Amino acid sequence: MFDLATVFEFTRDTVIFTVGLTAVLASLGVILCSSPIYCALYLISHMICLALLFLLYNAEFLAVVQIIVYAGAVMILFLFIIALLGGKKEVQELTFERSIAVAFIFTLLGELYLSATVGPTKQIEGKINPEIFGTAKAIGLELYSKHLVAFELASALLLVAAVGVICLAKFSFAPLKRR
Amino acid sequence: MGQEFVLLISSSVFCIGACGFIIRKNPLIMFMSVELMLNSVNFLLIAYSSFLNSLDGQIFALIIMTVAAAEVVVGLAIILTIFRTRQEMDVDHINALKG
Repeated sequence: MFDLATVFEFTRDTVIFTVGLTAVLASLGVILCSSPIYCALYLISHMICLALLFLLYNAEFLAVVQIIVYAGAVMILFLFIIALLGGKKEVQELTFERSIAVAFIFTLLGELYLSATVGPTKQIEGKINPEIFGTAKAIGLELYSKHLVAFELASALLLVAAVGVICLAKFSFAPLKRR
Repeated sequence: MGQEFVLLISSSVFCIGACGFIIRKNPLIMFMSVELMLNSVNFLLIAYSSFLNSLDGQIFALIIMTVAAAEVVVGLAIILTIFRTRQEMDVDHINALKG
C-alpha cells in the first residue's frame, strides 16, 4: 500500500522543514528581544535546532560537538557574563539608520539566495563508506590523515586564545579618565 | 528536502545575524549575532557535505567551531575589561580611540 521509503522520506522532509523554520524564528528572537538573557535563551534554542539539523544531514559527531561546545560551553560563558554585568534592557526604536540597515540586509539576502541557486552544482562522488559517514571514526580518519596541518593550527589557535584571555583577565587596567 | 531549502534557511539566518550586528548596541548581543552567522555557514557546509558525499565540509565546520570558541572567549574578556574600566556597555559611547 505505502512504500516505506517514500513514507520515510516524507517524514524526514517534514522534520527538516519544521526544525529549519524553528531555527530561523529563534534567530529572529535573538536580534529582536530587548533583554540580553532572553537573547541568550533564544540563541541556545537556535543551537539545539541546528544540532538536530546536523543529525538529519548525517553529521552525528558534529551534532554532539555543537551541543557540547556551543550550547554547553559558549552559551554558559555568555550567561555568566550577562549575570556578571547585569542584563540591562535596551530601548529599541526605529531610527532612519536602522531602516537603512534592514533594507540593506534584505538586499543581501536576495543576492545571496539568487547567486547560490542560479549556478550549477556539480555532483561529485566521494569515497566515504556510507556506513560510517559522519561518525567520530570517519571524522577522525579524515582529520588525522588529510587535514593534519589544520588540526595542529587549530590547537595553536586555542593555546594563543587561552594565553590572551589570561593576560586580559590577570592584569588590571586603571580606569580611563572621563571626558 | 532539496538544496534550495538549505540555501534559504542558511542565507536567511546569515542575514538575520548581519542585521542584528548592525542594529543592536549591546556588545554581547552583537557577539551573539556573529555566532548566528558562523552557525549558518556551518549548517551549509554540513548539508553540502552530505549532498556531495564528502567529509571535507564537516572538517571545515569543526575548524570553524574552534575559531568561534576562541573568538568568543577573547571577545568576552575584552568586553569585561571595557566594562571594568568604563562601567557602561553601549558601543556608541566607546570612542576613546577616535583621535
